[in-house]
Amino acid sequence: MTDRFPPGTRVRTFPHDPPHHTRLPRYARGKSGVVVEPEGRAEVADVSAQGRGDAPVEQVYAVRFAARDLWGEGDHHVVLDLWESYLEACEEERDDER
Amino acid sequence: MSGDHEDASISRRVRRLETLLEEKGVVTGGAVDEVLDAFLAGASPANGARVVARAWTDEAYRERLLTDGTAAVRELGFMDGSFQRLRVVENTDATHNVIVCTLCSCYPLALLGPSPGWYKSEAYRSRVVREPRSVLAEFGLRLPTSTDITVWDSSAETRYMVLPRRPEGTESLTEDELAALVTRNALIGTAAV
Amino acid sequence: MARINDVGGTQGFGAIDTTDDPEPFHADWEARVVGLFNALRAQGIFNTNEFRDAIEAIPPAAYLSMSYYERWFTAITTLLERKGVLESGELDD
Repeated sequence: MTDRFPPGTRVRTFPHDPPHHTRLPRYARGKSGVVVEPEGRAEVADVSAQGRGDAPVEQVYAVRFAARDLWGEGDHHVVLDLWESYLEACEEERDDER
Repeated sequence: MSGDHEDASISRRVRRLETLLEEKGVVTGGAVDEVLDAFLAGASPANGARVVARAWTDEAYRERLLTDGTAAVRELGFMDGSFQRLRVVENTDATHNVIVCTLCSCYPLALLGPSPGWYKSEAYRSRVVREPRSVLAEFGLRLPTSTDITVWDSSAETRYMVLPRRPEGTESLTEDELAALVTRNALIGTAAV
Repeated sequence: MARINDVGGTQGFGAIDTTDDPEPFHADWEARVVGLFNALRAQGIFNTNEFRDAIEAIPPAAYLSMSYYERWFTAITTLLERKGVLESGELDD
């Protein structure tokens, strides 16, 4: 199966604030980052946390964010492990680290 | 910790829960002992240190470790149920890596042993993603501004371990002597070796 | 809405106590709670994500006043009541 977001793809996290458990921290919602690598498929935590046995299984990606894009300042980077449904391809042209 | 009185109270409640679960036939005390022993058995930062020392002395192993951490630590017999995938991130002259779990306290127990109290603290979890340079300085690690810092926030099933830089002047040391230099904090990224 | 566990970037938690304490537990009950968690999870009574969810759902003021393993204990009892293993109030003195 081909991954939807190959390494180097610029993605944006969903801005959605769900009324349940999620593994997308609030500081990284609606933010743009670059896919580092796929990590393997896993049950979506948001659904599994509801005690349901039918949680969908999705690819998880390591996504690298510039501190400036998260906090408006800073020279470091933060990498998060994010399920595919937390992400959408970014409209911006594909670019690497700023 | 919230004082002796509360500690005695919660201690009593935990015992009561164990008794109730045993009476209901859900979990026996023996079963709790067993999983607790398994949880602690062999989980130690000495394991991560051995992996690091091997990577420092065996270039082919280092490459395997960075490409597929899970398989490489399994070669040395270190892998249990505490994580699905291990990713090893390498410190260099130009980059420094540090690990956190901002949402809870995810951590590669088998390789690093039980996590330190500060790793689970709100202070560390809230700040290291926002101001890693200041946080590392609080641990006594002052990095040049030219060093790029990457913070790995373990938010899914991967667990991270840092491969620290091998210190200069250690060419004559054996693998065991090198492993003895590697601390738990160095494997998390809050110290250098 | 984001919950109290989601602290990345939150101001005000202060300096980090960097003490390098090798002891994983500071009271026997803490170890028993970890053992109970692992035993109950292994039996399929709840999964890790449900457990995290139960910790995160602790009201913020209570959450911040609890030690790490008190939160675990609270989450375990919440889940056991939700699953009908314990009756509500069964643990009270």
